[in-house]
Formats: sequence, structure tokens, C-alpha cells
Amino acid sequence: MKKQVSKLLGILSMLLIYGALFAQTGYRQISGKVTDEEGRPVVGVSVRLKQTDVATMANDSGSYTIRIPDITPQVLVFTYMGMKTQEVTVRSKDVLNVTMEAEITSLEEVVAIGYGTARKKDLTGSVALIDGEDLAKRNNTQLSQALQGFAPGVTVTRSSGLPGASGTIRIRGITTIGDSSPLVLVDGIPVENMDRVNPNDVENISILKDAASASIYGSRASAGVILITTKNAKSNQLNLEYQGTYGVVTPTQFPGTVDYKRYMEMINEVAWNDGGNQSGAEYSIYDKDFIADYAENNRMDPERYPITNWVKELINDYAPTVSHGLSMTHGNDFVKTKASLNYEKTDALYNNRSYEKVNGRLNNEFKITKFLSGEVAGSFFHSLGENTVVNPLSSAYKYGPLWRPYWSDGRISDGRNGTNSWARVNYGGFDNTWGDEVTGRVGLKFKPIESLTISGVIAPSVRVSKGKTFVKQIPYYNAPDATRTSGYVGGNLTTSLAESRGEVRTMTKQLTANYTPKIGADHNLSLMAGYEDYYMFHESLGASSDNFLVSDYPYLDRGLSDYALNSGNAVENAYNSYFGRVAYDYAGRYLIQANIRYDGSSRFHQDYRWASFPSVSVGWVASEESFVKNLNLQSLDFFKIRASWGTLGNERIGDYPYQAIMNFSNGLFVDGDGNIVSQTTAAQQSFNIRDITWETTESWNIGVDATLLSNRLSFTADYYKKTTHDMLLTLQIPLFMGYNDPDQNAGIMSTKGWEAQIGWSDWIGDLKYSVSANVSDYRSVMGNLSGTVFLGNQIITEGVEYNSWYGYRSDGLFQSQEDVDQSPLLSSVVRAGDVKYKDISGPDGVPDGIISPEYDRVPLAGSQPRYLYGGNINLSYKGFDAFLMFQGVGKQSSRLEEDMVYQTAGWYNFPDFVDGNYYSAYNTVEQNAQARYPRLSQLAYDGNNYKMSDYWLFDGSYFRLKNVTLGYTLPGKWSNYLKMSNIRIYASVNDLFSLDHYPKGWDPEAGLTAYMARTWNFGAQIRF
Amino acid sequence: MKKLILLTLSLLFILTGCQRLDLNPLSEGSSENWYNNEDEITLALNDLYRSSIWYAEANRLFNTDRWTDDWNQREYLYDWVAGSITGEWSDAENTWANTYKGIARANTILNSLDHAVENVSEEQLNQYKGEASFFRACFYSYLIFLYGDVPLVTSYISIDDALATGRTDKAVILEQIYKDFDTAIEYLPTSYTGLQRVTKGAAYAFKARTATWMLDYPTARDAAKACMDLGTYSLHADYSALFQPSTTTSPELIFSIPRSRELTGSGLSVSSMITRNAGGTATAQPSWELFCSYTCTDGLPIDESPLFDRVNPFKNRDPRCAAMFVEFGTPHLGYIYDPGATTVLNLSTGTQVENKDALLKDQYAAYNGMCLRKFVDQDWVTYKQTDMDVKIMRYADVLLMYAEAKIELNEIDVSTLDAINQVRARAYKVNVGETTLYPTVTEIDQAKLRTILRNERRVELAWENRRWFDLIRWKLAEVALIRPVYALPTKAGLAANIASGDYFFPKDALPEIDDNGLVDFSTLYETGKIRAVVPRSFDKRQYLFPIPSKEVIINKNIKQNPGY
Repeated sequence: MKKQVSKLLGILSMLLIYGALFAQTGYRQISGKVTDEEGRPVVGVSVRLKQTDVATMANDSGSYTIRIPDITPQVLVFTYMGMKTQEVTVRSKDVLNVTMEAEITSLEEVVAIGYGTARKKDLTGSVALIDGEDLAKRNNTQLSQALQGFAPGVTVTRSSGLPGASGTIRIRGITTIGDSSPLVLVDGIPVENMDRVNPNDVENISILKDAASASIYGSRASAGVILITTKNAKSNQLNLEYQGTYGVVTPTQFPGTVDYKRYMEMINEVAWNDGGNQSGAEYSIYDKDFIADYAENNRMDPERYPITNWVKELINDYAPTVSHGLSMTHGNDFVKTKASLNYEKTDALYNNRSYEKVNGRLNNEFKITKFLSGEVAGSFFHSLGENTVVNPLSSAYKYGPLWRPYWSDGRISDGRNGTNSWARVNYGGFDNTWGDEVTGRVGLKFKPIESLTISGVIAPSVRVSKGKTFVKQIPYYNAPDATRTSGYVGGNLTTSLAESRGEVRTMTKQLTANYTPKIGADHNLSLMAGYEDYYMFHESLGASSDNFLVSDYPYLDRGLSDYALNSGNAVENAYNSYFGRVAYDYAGRYLIQANIRYDGSSRFHQDYRWASFPSVSVGWVASEESFVKNLNLQSLDFFKIRASWGTLGNERIGDYPYQAIMNFSNGLFVDGDGNIVSQTTAAQQSFNIRDITWETTESWNIGVDATLLSNRLSFTADYYKKTTHDMLLTLQIPLFMGYNDPDQNAGIMSTKGWEAQIGWSDWIGDLKYSVSANVSDYRSVMGNLSGTVFLGNQIITEGVEYNSWYGYRSDGLFQSQEDVDQSPLLSSVVRAGDVKYKDISGPDGVPDGIISPEYDRVPLAGSQPRYLYGGNINLSYKGFDAFLMFQGVGKQSSRLEEDMVYQTAGWYNFPDFVDGNYYSAYNTVEQNAQARYPRLSQLAYDGNNYKMSDYWLFDGSYFRLKNVTLGYTLPGKWSNYLKMSNIRIYASVNDLFSLDHYPKGWDPEAGLTAYMARTWNFGAQIRF
Repeated sequence: MKKLILLTLSLLFILTGCQRLDLNPLSEGSSENWYNNEDEITLALNDLYRSSIWYAEANRLFNTDRWTDDWNQREYLYDWVAGSITGEWSDAENTWANTYKGIARANTILNSLDHAVENVSEEQLNQYKGEASFFRACFYSYLIFLYGDVPLVTSYISIDDALATGRTDKAVILEQIYKDFDTAIEYLPTSYTGLQRVTKGAAYAFKARTATWMLDYPTARDAAKACMDLGTYSLHADYSALFQPSTTTSPELIFSIPRSRELTGSGLSVSSMITRNAGGTATAQPSWELFCSYTCTDGLPIDESPLFDRVNPFKNRDPRCAAMFVEFGTPHLGYIYDPGATTVLNLSTGTQVENKDALLKDQYAAYNGMCLRKFVDQDWVTYKQTDMDVKIMRYADVLLMYAEAKIELNEIDVSTLDAINQVRARAYKVNVGETTLYPTVTEIDQAKLRTILRNERRVELAWENRRWFDLIRWKLAEVALIRPVYALPTKAGLAANIASGDYFFPKDALPEIDDNGLVDFSTLYETGKIRAVVPRSFDKRQYLFPIPSKEVIINKNIKQNPGY
């Protein structure tokens, strides 16, 4: 890290010296012509030398001349009402021609809509837009996580703050049981993972939420579509921009555990409870004296009587994160080029884990003739995830305090009987993954006549992945005075290596034609037709070897050849599509659009392969009506009502679902000589359903868009209804059929939801501010399914919400043995202090006096988050800017996982918040009546208490302050002095705090083996 | 200009030629055109040998022994023996699902063999038919033993048909099983020169086992006798050597499934059965009940034999006792094993080291002071894993099944006693005829011989996944599995025992062994010199597994077993 900083400083000082060397006094004259996008001269443009009073104005023919000091670089600012202000850097040439672009209000903004663009005000579907600048401000280098809280109806859930972790994106909730991830396209080409795009390269993102917007992507759009448009150069642009951040990651919180004394007492209590609470057996594991003397023994002989804080041993207080980005932009009338390169590295909060990535992107546009233009673009992505052979996070809060990770002289101890995550993290080898992706895109745009554009694109991509898991043998010493190793740490008994390689090749080809005939002043018609196909090939191989004689050479030939194993696999899939769109509006007032897509997928049998997905949408811009205008509602700038209907498809269910596949495995036999040999075996493992076909989602949407009070207040709201037919579900088939459950076109799911966004922006003097907030909700209920999907603690079945919690209804804790004796029980291990369940039914439809999983489990509550909200505040005052972002969930039924409230195995520690709050034979009756947690018992843990029941459901809603950023742009004279055109420095913090009902130490978003990190960033943006 | 337009357009079309959509699996076969030749059928048959299909035997090491009175694991009780199982219990679901997978695959082979009529000889096809029938019969035998009545499926079945299917009387299924075994017996060869596949002998043996499970002793007698009469099998000379993981072939082995760390990259964890001095956790031990079941060298149980020495309980015992348990004071895995000593000899360094296998020094040492010897080799310490094969059927079992059938039919004769004596003589490494060198069984009273036979099965087949099946079919679980798990007292109590000379077996109390060979320690417990660690419980509903909940919930024709 130090090295990188000094390197950077070196580069900066070189640049400074360079600038100073060429500094000369004297003046030079710059002249040029200012035109609009059509090439017509713009009269009266103000031309001013930045940060000075030196200024002039363009004449009648658009020409200007200005005399400026002869130092480089200098920046000229071109300003004109109704046009975008442009800053152009003066280089060696004395002639500087400038093309001005019309300034657009947000409604005039052009957005990507799938094989084309549209003005925001002409949209008739439900499209959320995210500006690249807002994203960049968040300083979250994982694009998926950066989207959290930005747009209504776009749910981003995180389960980890570990380096390189992605967010899970759902648009308008769950659509299918299979893959509910939206289709992501970068510049029109589908990609696998949006996190391979650097947020700084993003110009904007359109999220197509309803069927009318998304149906142009037909078969793969049922979970919504995310269109990412990357930045390209504009005319007259030439700049170099550097952006760098340095930050530290600190954990938000970690679960706490009881101390060594309570640990021993509670372990004894478990054994005492499970042994039947015989008097005299209270101290069956740790003698009373042993516990009483432990502190003193620890003082005298900490080797033999340790008190270990495993969180301290395993988790670091902070971890560094760093990023550097460089981009170069150049545009003129013929060529527009933007190149960017970004590097990022983040360490985890434990040793030997980090994530590093490099993004490169190059966008080129060429205007070849008046009729022909072309584009060549490409991106490169490289990642390296360095990881340890074990994730120590759960060890940190589970390991008991009476064992040591290492002896005081540094030798590795046996931990507990050879279980030692500390040794594995620090000396256990590595589990690294490399990923490289290259995407390319070549396109030609042919414009034979003004109203017709034909374009063809081919976009190949290659993705290779490499994994290497090197597990090193770790000898341990099990007594402080022993000189001999006495065993090897569990999981690292031998030295072994497993390598994997994967390759994915895809090819997307598109041919589209856009026709926009001129048919009169008020009639706007545009037609689009196209063809697209896609092919994907994936091949993987694995090889491993074990029993390495030396532990320092992670290469396969060092292992014993007897232990060498190989594996391999390949799949492919493809689709063909034809699509078209008609859009018409009358005077920008009445809008109508219709789309259709006809798709064929290799995943289905040829008789069930093709399906068409139509949609239609209408809009009425009321504010354009003369009778509305006549009302003189000064405050109403724009008001549009939209309605849409359409269908979407989904086919993401494995590559050959209709085929009866013989899966190969290996079986072992003894040969004639008594040797064990491996033989190939073949069996059809999954049931095949020959007529499986598309899942179809039909959706209705109505919405309004309005801006009021001189465009200061904006408001958007949508209500939608979705019905998924022939839903692809993995229904439970009778186990005795002997096959794995197949995907089936099984049933119906109905979703109703709404979302709203409101924004306000204004200024008071030099203070500019904007505030935006959004909220959304949906509820998905299962209709007629021809079966049930069991998901452990959740269920998908008719009449209840998708993925409902499924389990027993609880009735508090048993307070007495009499109550136990008189109650229906799940098993014979139940005693006073265990969770009591309600007898709901039996084989004859009435309570049968037994608690049984067949008849007494019911859907308990929905598991999906409700009332998701987010918002942000932008402030700027002179050179200062500030950004604040929050996000949360208004309502959710969450489960207290076993690992949060009780540790499962004998030597695992207990959470501190449970102590004093559980049912115990040592408690008074009153204390037990108020106990939140059941008695300590391993038998009842397995046999009763932690079965899924509503006893463990709690309010999982939360509010989180996601990001606060403060920035300062240096005054022009300072940056001029440094020979730079713009310098902004900033500090930001992500995930500062949350308000929630989770037990102490648990983050509402982090999974059981992850954490949420608080990231403090300091950075600079420098433009030359 | 026009040329350019044409050129551009044609280029675009060339670039975007249609993508082919008829794609087939690249790395897997298609079952629609499978089973056409010997290779394809053999590959399909091979699948039936996989350990995942033989779930009831190969699911975990010492699978069902963990639920019996032969097993101690500190205060831990497996859910079956804790009495907390329901239809959600993973063993009930996985055994059911995996066993039915085997049945579906065997059914498909049996129903598809006619695809290969053109390419494969009738004789060969018959052998395949015999092989697939063997597996189908075995799998159904587990199901009816474990679950009672189950759905009977012998051919392709659609989802709708399956949802309309209920449980078939197990007597009907038993007929189907016998029919399949008979097909296997008819067509399978007695041995193979190359790969060892299932044999005629295996079909007889498993038919006998199924019959003993179903208490159909005439069939058991005949099938076992037929297996013995083949002359193919004999007892391995050395009892201990048979269980060394390196022993993969023996004339005693009738059917086993090999495991191999080399070929699969994984083994089964055994840390819990390795001593703490050698780096294990010593969590699980063979029980005192099992220890007390080995007779003395006079053939009498320890509570009757004058040869039993309470101070040195390993003395004068059936040799299989020391083959199963590590005798105190003998070397084991690099150390002298002695749970009563504070220090022991480290054999590789020749130094005395603190004894982590004594409760006096380590509160987590083996609670009952015992340690497993059978099956253990040095590899256990090196890898904390084993890849020993799953011995599912061996000849000693066939001999004992024959004897048991004869006893139950009250046809006790020379062949009955001879079958038991063959097994017992081998334990003493002597010939069955050398009757002075081992405690020959001569008892001809049915009840008394039954006691001897049951005990013989227990000690001969200890920790081979047979005890639990025996306790269930003999309906002894309700007696054996309601007694607590006993152990040595903790540190202070143990030190006092040793000081008073009551270490291991108190001087003035002996466990009582009943007519079923079940061992009762309550007299010892009353002395206060041992402790009861955890109570076992057994509900009679557990004579059958619960049907998996999912199966009951989705199919109205399937009702749960009573009591669950």
C-alpha cells in the first residue's frame, strides 16, 4: 500500500514539474467557430477564460476570438441560454471549434429503452433511471450493492460485506422460483454480472420494470431488465481524469459471548439438564473447584488454563481498501473515444483474505461517411479473490474460551482436539479464485436515408475462471512443553491441491432497423424491427491431488499420483429472437407504443420451443392539453398518466430440462487381484418432463409522472399487478418415484405492488440542494399450484405468500412438568423450559394429541421484505458538496437462527444476551415465566426447541444510513496553480449505522458467516 | 454508393446467421437411447453398487450401531435413541429416497433389457436381469423392514399415478422380493474372475437375511443352507485381520462396497474413536454392555463364570473382546492405553507423558474408559479418516442366520451347533473339530441355545451395523434401550474408586446379564461408584421408521406410521 501511495505521489510531482517547465509568460490568441448539433452557427455565445474576467462573445457567424495568457492548460467556458455550458481545454492549436448541445431538462433526457432510446417524457412504461454521477458518489465499487435504495421497486439485498461480495437484485420482487435475477445488458449486450462494470464508467442506468418496457427482451425479461449505458466521449472533449481513494474497513458489529466462568457453568447446565437433573450431577463436566479456581490458575499458568478471546485473535480491527482510476476522453466530429482503467483492492477483516479487481473499458465511435458510422468497444475485467481455506467468522463467536490458538512461544496449539481456525487462517494455505473476462463489440450503423437506420452488432465474450485451493498440512503441539508435534489440525491433515478451470464463451448478434418517417408536424411515428441470437458454451475441468510430500509447491505434480482425481463437464444453450416495436404520438400528448418479441430457446423440445410476448402501452400528457394549459395551473409543469399491459417469459431452468439425461458417476469395485478400482456408472437421476415450456408473466401497470413548481418538485407513482402462469417450479414429487424433483410448469402466482418516488430540488443563494425519497411494496401470493415446494423452513404452496415461513405454532415455554405431561408433544425429550407447540390437526383432520410435522406445521408468515424505502440528500455550497443516503425495510418477518441464540455443539460458546434470559432450573418461577429463551439442552435442541416455529420469528425491519459523503472542489486558482482543471477531494463513510431489532451483535443484512463492513474512504478526483 | 449499401447489408446478414437451437447434452448421455449394448447396461448396473444408494448400510460409519446398547458417546444421544425422531428426521427421509432411487434405476434396467435383444446374447441378458433383480430385492427388503408397508413400484410410473398410489402390504412385497431373489439365484454366477460383482451366493445370503428380518425362518434356513452348500465361502482365518481396512478380499466376504480415499478423495472421519493421546477426541466408545457380553474362555457369561477377574476384566475372555476393545496396559496408536494411569508411555519417544486418555487428567477423556480396536489401523491417526469398505454380508453372518433359523424352528441338530461352533472356533483361531481348544457349544435346549446364539451374533458382528436390526426384529429395543448410558465417575470420584480398589468394576457388585444377553448395571450404579450420564428412551412406535413427512403431506393415500 505504501508503495502505491509513493508511486502516486511520484506521478503527481512529475506532472507538476512538467507543468512548471512549460510555464511561460506572454499571450496567445485563440479563435474558432461555435455551432449547434446541426452545424448551424450559434450567435451570441459567451466565451470566457475560466476563473477570470477575460471574456468575449461569438459574432453573427458564430465566430469568436479571445486573447489569453500563454500558459497551459487553460480552460474556456462557453455559455448560452438553452444550451449546455461547455468547458474546453485549450491545447497547442490556436483554432478551437465548439459544438454546443441543447440543454435538456430531466424530462428531455434521453434514456435507453432496449434496441433504442426515448425521451423520458415520451415513456409509456415504467422505467427507473439512475444517473451515473449519483452512483459514483457512493464510492461503492460493487455496482450491484451501489444500487441499493436508489430506485423504487428495485430491491437490493446484501448478505455480506466481505471483499468482493455482490448484492442480489430483485425488480418488483420475486417472479419465479428459478433465477429471479434481472437481465443485465451493458450497451445492449447481455452480461453475466454487473459487478464487472466500474461504477465510474456508468453514464446512466435504465431499469425496465413493467412488461411494456421489458417485453422487447421477451423471454429473459420476466425478472426485469437493467440497461447500463457506459460513458463515451462527446464532441470537443479532451481530458484526463484521475480518481483515487484510500479507505479503511471496520466491522459494524460482532456477536458477543459469555465469559469463561459462565461458559463452564452453562456447559455443566446442558449436561445436567440432559442427564435428567439428578442432584449431585450439577458439575458433571467442570468440577465446582475447577471453575472457582480457574481465574487464579489462569494467572499462574495461562498456557494450561487459558482464557481466550477468539474474536480478538481472529478478527482485525480494520482493513485497508484502495482504488485508483484513470480515464481519457477525446471527441471530435469524426471520432469519439473514451478509455478507462480502474484498479481496486480491499482486504477482509481477517488475515489472508482480499479481493482485487481491474476494469478496463474502451468505447470508440467513428463517423465514416454521412451514411455510415461504426463503433468498436471492448472491456476487460480481471479479479483475484485471495481467500483462506476456512472462513473464521463463525469460529470467532462460537469457540469457547478454554482453548488456545497457539502457545506463548508461538507454536501452534491443538485448539480443541485439533480444531483451530486461527491456525488454518494463518498457516493453512489458500483458496484463491481468478476471473478474467474480455468482451468485444463491433457495430455498423447504416443510414441510407435520413429516416432509416440499419444497424448490426456482433458481441463476443470470453470468460475464464481459475480456482486453486491449496490446503497445507499444519502440525500442532498439544502441550506447551512438548517438543514433538502431536497431530495435525483438522481440515489440514495432509497437504492437498485442487485446481479448477472454467471457460464460458458467448456470442450475441443483433440486426435492427429503425424507421422514423416524417408524416406531418404533429404525428410522430417510429418503427423498429430486429433479429437477435445468442449462444453460450461453458466447459469446466477440475483436477486435484493429495498427500503432498512438501508443502511449499502448489502444483499438481507434487502430490501422490495415487490420489489424483479429475473431473470435467460442458453445457451449451442458445436462443433466436425476432422483435419489433411501433411507437406513435400525437403532438407529444397522446402516446402509444406496442412491442412484440418471438423467441425460441434451446432449453425446450422443438415442439414447445417458440413463444411470442406482446405488449402495449399508452400515455396521456395532460399538461399538453390546451384545456389544462388554459386552467393556468402555474405550478403544474408536466403531468402524464401511463398504462401498460404485456407478457414476459422465463426459461432459466437448467440447460436440458426436457431431456432424459443419463448422469455419469463413479462406483468402486474390487477387481480380480483384490485392488479397488473405479468404474463409470450411469443413471437417470432427474425425472424429465418432455413438454416443459415457457413460464409467462402477464403484467398490468398504471402510473403517473408529474413535475410541479417550475420543475422543482417531481413525482412518480406506479401500481402494478403481475400474474405468472405455467410457473416453473420444482414441485415435490413422491420420493418413492426415485428421481430428483423436476422443474414443471406448475402453477400461478399473483403479485400486486406499488411504488412511488418524490424529489425536490432548489437553491437558496449559493446553496443548491435536492432531496429524493422512494418507497415500494409488493405481495406475491401463490395461486393454484399442482403441488408444493418444501424449502426446509419455508414453503411454496397455494394461498400463501411466496416462500412463507413454515413450521409449528408455538405457545410459549412449558413452565411445569405437569403442563408437559398433559400436552401433545413432538417428542419424548420435551421437559419444562422447552418450547410448547399447538396441536393443530391430525390424520383425520382434527387434533390428535401428538405434535407431528405432517399435520401440525402451517405457513406462519411471509418471509419477503415489505415497504422497502430509500432516499438521498444532495447539497452543494460553493466548492463544498455533501451527499447522504439511507435505505431500509419497513416490515419483515425474520428468523432468529440457531447460531444467533444457541450454539450447537458442546464446546461452542453461548451468546452473551442469552445469559440471564433463558429458562433454568436455577431460576425462580417468576424469572422463568419471563424467560425469552428455552432451557439449555442439547437433546431438546435437536428434538424440539429449534424446529421452525413462530417462536423464533421477530420483526426484521431496519433503517440504515448507507452513505455520507463530504466533498470540496478546490478553487480554480489553486487548481490552475497545480496545472489541473479541476480538483475535488472527498471523504465518505458507508454503512455508518443501522436501527433494527436484531440481537446484539447481529447485523440485519449479514449472514451467519459474514459481516457488514463500515468503510471510511478518503479520495481525490483530478481532471487535467 | 449503392455498392457500399449492398456490401454493408450483406455483411450484416452474414454476420447474423441463425443460431441452431437443437442442442444436446455434451458431457452426459441420453436415457432415451440407452441400454442398447453390454457397455451401456453394465454402466447402469454399476450405479446400483454406489454407496449412496445403499444408504441404510453405508450412510455413515457404524451406521445403526450408534443407536444401540453397543455404543457410548458421552452425554450425546442420537435422535433415534433419544426418542425425538419424526417424519422430518433426515435418516427416515434419506433412507427412503435413496433406496427408492436404487429401485427406480433397477426397474428401468429390468424394463429396458429388451432394447438390447439384437446386440446381446440371451444368456448375458439373463445375467443382467439377475443382477438388477438382486438389487431391487435388497432395496425392498430394507424398506419393508424399516417402514413396514410401502408403495410397490416395479415399472415406470407417472407423477399422477404416483400421487394416486398408497402403501402395499409388506407381505405382498415380500413375495416380490423372494421372486426377485430367485431370479438372481437362477441367473447369477457363483464367482467372477475380474471385477467382483454380486453372486448367486450373495442372492442366497440376502434372501436369508430378508427372511430372518421377516421372521420367516423356513425360508431363512433354506436360503442360508443353500449358500453354505455352494462351498464358495469360508471363514477368514484371523478374526482381527478381517477388519483391517486393507483387507478387501476374503472367502468370507459375500458382499461389500469398497471405499477409497485414493479414488474418491474423501474418507469418513474417525477422530471421535481415536484416543486423545494420539490426537483424536475419544468421543465415542464401544459400551460397557458390549464389553460385558463377551463370555469367558469357559463359554460362560461374566456373571456366571468363575474365570472372570474384576480387577483385570480382560483376563480369560473370548479373544474377540480384545479384538474389539483395547486391553488396558497394551500399546495402541503409539501410546500405552490405560485410562487409570496419570501418565503413560509414548512408544515413539520412550518417555512417560501426561495421560490425556484418563479422566483423572482430562475431563473429556473417554467417559467409560473404553477404546475401539476393531477396524483401527495406523492410517486412522495419519488422516483422522478411514476408507475401510462396508462389509454388508459375510459368511459368519450366514452361518449364524442358519443356526438361528434352525433354533427358532426347533430343529436343533448337529448342523445347528456346528454353524455356531465354526464361528466361535475361528475366534479362538482353532479348527471347529478341536473342541478342547475353545468353548464348544453343546446346548440343545431351544431357549438356552437362543440366548447363546443371540449373544454370539452380538459379539461376532459388533459394530457391523447388525445389532440394531437384531434388537428391532427380536423386539428387544424396548428393554435394551430404556436404560441409561453409564460411565466412570468424574475426576474426584474416580480417584476415590482407584484408591479403594474399586476401579473399573467395584469389588462387590457385578452387572446382571439376562436371558436375552442384555446387560444391566443398576447394581453397580447403586454402589455410587459409577455415574449415569444420560437416560435413553424408547417408544414402541420406533419399531418402524416414520414415513417421510413430505410423502405424507403431498399424497393423501399415504398415512404416517402409528404413533408419529
